[in-house]
Amino acid sequence: MEQFISAFFQLFELTHLIFLFGGTLLGLVVGILPGLGGTSGLALVLPFIFNLEPSYALAMMIGVLAPTTTSDTFPAVLMGIPGTAGSQATVMDGFPLSKKGMAARALSAAFCSSLMGGIFGALILSISIYYAIPIIMAFGFGEQFLLIILALLMVGALTGENFVKGVTACIIGLIIGSIGSAPITGDPRFTFGTLYLIEGVPIVIVGLGLFAIPEIIGLLDTKGAIAKSLKNERGWFRGIKDVFKNWFLVIRCSAIGCMVGALPGLGGTVVDWIAYSHLKQTAKETSNIGKGDIRGVIAPESANNAKEGGALIPTLLFGIPGSGNKVLLLGGFILIGIEPGIEMVTTHLDLTYLMIWSLALANILGAGLCIGFASHISKLTLTTDSDALGVENITLPLTHSKIYTYLANHKKEKQRSKSNFPKKLITDVDENHSINGRGSKSINMNYELVWDNILDPETLIRVLPGSKDIQIKEPHLYTGEININFGPITGKYDFSVQLTDLVKPISFKLKGSATGSLGSATGKGKITLVRYYILAPVMIVLIFFATFNFNRDWYDFIGLLGFGLIGITFKAFGWSRPALLIGFFLSTKVELLSYQTQAVYGLTFLTRPVSIILIVLCFGTILLLLRQKFKQSYTSSALKNKKNQIYYVLILLVLPLLMISVISSLDYRASLYPISLCVISIILLMIIFFVKIIDYNEHPLLNNSIVKFVNMNIYEQNSGFNNQFSYYLSFIGYLIMNFVVGFPIASVIFINTFILFHDKRDYKIAIIISLILLLVLWFLSFMLTLQFPNGLIDMIIDLPWWLGGSLN
Amino acid sequence: MHKFLILFVVSFFSLTSVVSAEVDFSGKTITWVVPFKEGGGTSRFSRFIQPFLTKYLPGNPTIKIMHIPGGGAIKGSNYFEKNAKPDGTYIFGCSTSVIVNVATGNPLVKYNLSAYEPVLLLPQNTHWFTRSDLIDEAHDISKLQKRKLVLYGLKTPASADLFHIWVFDKIGIKGAKPIPGLSSSGAWQAFQRGEIHLNSQGAAKYIKNVKPEIKEGKILDIMTLGLVDANGNISRNPLAPNAPTFPEMYEKVNGKKLSGDDLEAFYSIAAAWSQASKSMLLPENTPNEIVKVYRDAAKKMVNDPDFKAKATKVLGPYPLTVGEEAGAIIKKAAIFSENTKKQLNKVLKKHKFTYRVK
Repeated sequence: MEQFISAFFQLFELTHLIFLFGGTLLGLVVGILPGLGGTSGLALVLPFIFNLEPSYALAMMIGVLAPTTTSDTFPAVLMGIPGTAGSQATVMDGFPLSKKGMAARALSAAFCSSLMGGIFGALILSISIYYAIPIIMAFGFGEQFLLIILALLMVGALTGENFVKGVTACIIGLIIGSIGSAPITGDPRFTFGTLYLIEGVPIVIVGLGLFAIPEIIGLLDTKGAIAKSLKNERGWFRGIKDVFKNWFLVIRCSAIGCMVGALPGLGGTVVDWIAYSHLKQTAKETSNIGKGDIRGVIAPESANNAKEGGALIPTLLFGIPGSGNKVLLLGGFILIGIEPGIEMVTTHLDLTYLMIWSLALANILGAGLCIGFASHISKLTLTTDSDALGVENITLPLTHSKIYTYLANHKKEKQRSKSNFPKKLITDVDENHSINGRGSKSINMNYELVWDNILDPETLIRVLPGSKDIQIKEPHLYTGEININFGPITGKYDFSVQLTDLVKPISFKLKGSATGSLGSATGKGKITLVRYYILAPVMIVLIFFATFNFNRDWYDFIGLLGFGLIGITFKAFGWSRPALLIGFFLSTKVELLSYQTQAVYGLTFLTRPVSIILIVLCFGTILLLLRQKFKQSYTSSALKNKKNQIYYVLILLVLPLLMISVISSLDYRASLYPISLCVISIILLMIIFFVKIIDYNEHPLLNNSIVKFVNMNIYEQNSGFNNQFSYYLSFIGYLIMNFVVGFPIASVIFINTFILFHDKRDYKIAIIISLILLLVLWFLSFMLTLQFPNGLIDMIIDLPWWLGGSLN
Repeated sequence: MHKFLILFVVSFFSLTSVVSAEVDFSGKTITWVVPFKEGGGTSRFSRFIQPFLTKYLPGNPTIKIMHIPGGGAIKGSNYFEKNAKPDGTYIFGCSTSVIVNVATGNPLVKYNLSAYEPVLLLPQNTHWFTRSDLIDEAHDISKLQKRKLVLYGLKTPASADLFHIWVFDKIGIKGAKPIPGLSSSGAWQAFQRGEIHLNSQGAAKYIKNVKPEIKEGKILDIMTLGLVDANGNISRNPLAPNAPTFPEMYEKVNGKKLSGDDLEAFYSIAAAWSQASKSMLLPENTPNEIVKVYRDAAKKMVNDPDFKAKATKVLGPYPLTVGEEAGAIIKKAAIFSENTKKQLNKVLKKHKFTYRVK
């Protein structure tokens, strides 16, 4: 009780609140910035905060992590795309609601139940953790070993979308994690005589490489984006009311979230589905579920925030993280001196309470900010207001798919003369996203062309459904007639559209009005083309800076780019990155626990009661999950280049083979563990290899259900891989520049070349960014007394120390 | 004329610089390299000393602590060897593991520790204890000696934990079997779960975690390593005054006083493990006057009433070693004799470890 109160006071200390709030804000920005999730956000932040006072660093880390489960609701409700795995079930009812014009209601209900879920989860956890000590004491070496195996299997099964590939990714992670000095004998394994590899690549660097680099390259690959969205003031209150009406559902789902979250590996990915099916089973009225029932949003959202608290249990008590972001959180905890263990519920209980409650508070802040952000996000993009009819969500449906279809058709005509349109365009057309007016969709092509096409009246005719007789009254003022077939507002309207504030080639505003038999509607909008080639090099510089600040070690850059390459290829060929990260992190623990279990118990550990429960739990859930996966429809459209798939499997095979050949001469206590992992991975890779061959040759065996299962590839997308690879090469060029001219100058050169290479007219932006960068570096070097990596140039010219010269 | 002026200015400055050879650090920044991560014991030690050192060094220089963790402390230590200037602007924060790396002949070590100039040593001491159901009364190990299997945690044989193997061998616990890969806190947890039988902790954890359980009767003391002073006298640990020291236990078990090779090994182990547990050193070839300034500052610091008041709580109850005598201890800790190495390798072989002290 005493600890409870002391944690409570600490929670509301001003500095703690400031750092928590700062973290939350950062987390939200990272979450909303397309492509960067919580995991890469945390990886990016860690190198800067581990120097802070531990309690502030803690607040910051939790702040960054907490809002990702809240902000991922935006794409889920608005576009029907789950932002993270945790919001998959939210799509089921959230997106239909949005289609019905109740996006605001769905969003506010989602944020509000996220908030409630976070708080109830924390409450339940605070009480139950008090009684957890005997359970934790029952977890000996054997039980912990099984818990890790359970976590690895779960993560493998759930994040890979294909069980065999997921588990193989886990094992490859375990193998990479076993590089370094062998924990039992101290023999260096696979280190090639280097000191750097003795301790292995730091987890933060691995996180940055595996997650941040591929995401940024992914952004670059989609060169332009059209973002549009509608501003909607109504329905916010209704959503909040919905949550309070269903308060009991919120409590039940929070409890479910909290408990399921505590099972490592399981929580992150399926808790929303468990809550959703709980709703289906318990609700009296089920006819509307799946078609836009607000409860279908409330249930998964409240569970999915409550699980964050539950997931702290295995992370803090056993040091077994259940998801990619928990790996980094735990890495951060260890950096600031919080060692996981039973002390977390005995002597350091106040710290645990502080974390749980910080999480809840960050949830509140996050939800508040999300509601606040919602209107700003729409300001950034196309916004449409409506009044007259009182119907929400009237749009001038400048739909994505229409633009696509148009541009795609257009392409055929133009391609003869100009071949600026990448082939990918046609495959990207996605009818599902057409009805909804909000959101953004990427178009992979030159800005100029997108810009010209959008301004072309012909485009407007084609993209505005049912419009005809469009006339250009004056430049950028169009009038015409339009037929709208959308719910209650069906009818014929006269319309005019005025384009203003043209900022070529980035954005313009769009103002339209329509009058017809049912009344009139006006709409306002803004179309923005986001240019990632300006954002991306800055982020790469930031990642390099973070990497250097972490350890001040040149080798970390090589580690970063090495794992970056693994990340890019894993992403491109549909291999699970979270599974790799968790395997990497837990490898030493698995190895040690297997020896420790053997030494203390032998095989008898399997007969201990907790072990039996864990084994049953393990097999039970996996069977259940596998059955569910079988039911999912299998679309092979994403599987384009089967040959590259096969090559990639062969490349992966090199690692275990090389490992075996290098370490087989060591003492058996140093080599047994990696060699057995290698053997398993070789077997699994061979299975995948043969299935891929069967698939490639379209062999009749393909219809065999097992083969089909192993061949399943839903997340796979390897379009533009070559493109991504060339971006990757430019990062290597940047690294080499670092070696030659030092970090600050190399960064300036990199940003300028990168931007100017894409568009020479952006030189002003490039110069401004360079100046800001130098200013920031100068400031940071004073603040952190940081000496930047000095290149070879330092030997010839004396540079000031904030430019990478020597410190004295 | 100009030439004269320049000559004058130059001679003036060279004169003043001779005067300032009195050693003055005003306006200077001193870099304290700690080869461990933030939050660890050596980091805490450095942070505690830092403000007092600023206060007592002439010119009150700024001291910034630079953490370079990695490679089992080898990375930061090698960095120090390579980059530290012997002009008093670089300090090294050393600990048992840094010393053990040298003493056991780790081939990656590039630092010449025994030539460094020690300023200050902070001793620590090891407490061994067991569960109360395993022995009849405190300090009586006869039951453990007869037990077939006595499990204890061992991080790796390449760390200071190697000394446990030797210690248990010398007091005749034949069933002692190390469970590898257990950090100090991991071993404590396993001990609490009843999975291992013997455990050891340093002063801080002993006070915080072990003492309450001794009061409750769940845990019984076995022995402590014992405090060794600069002259080689061994005294009991003030935190557990009733517990025998290792040499006392050795005598009780073997019926003869600790002597010969065993005593030599014990002195080396005690120097590395206990006497020089945490230390502050200056680089090789630091001029004597600078070393003296540092040692004087350390002496003044140790007598500061504010320091005295806080030190017991933060650093433990053991007296700090300052000055000349620290040098001999570091040398003893860092350079193991061939006999001692042979002894350690013998017990390593006995427990089927392939690792060898070189």
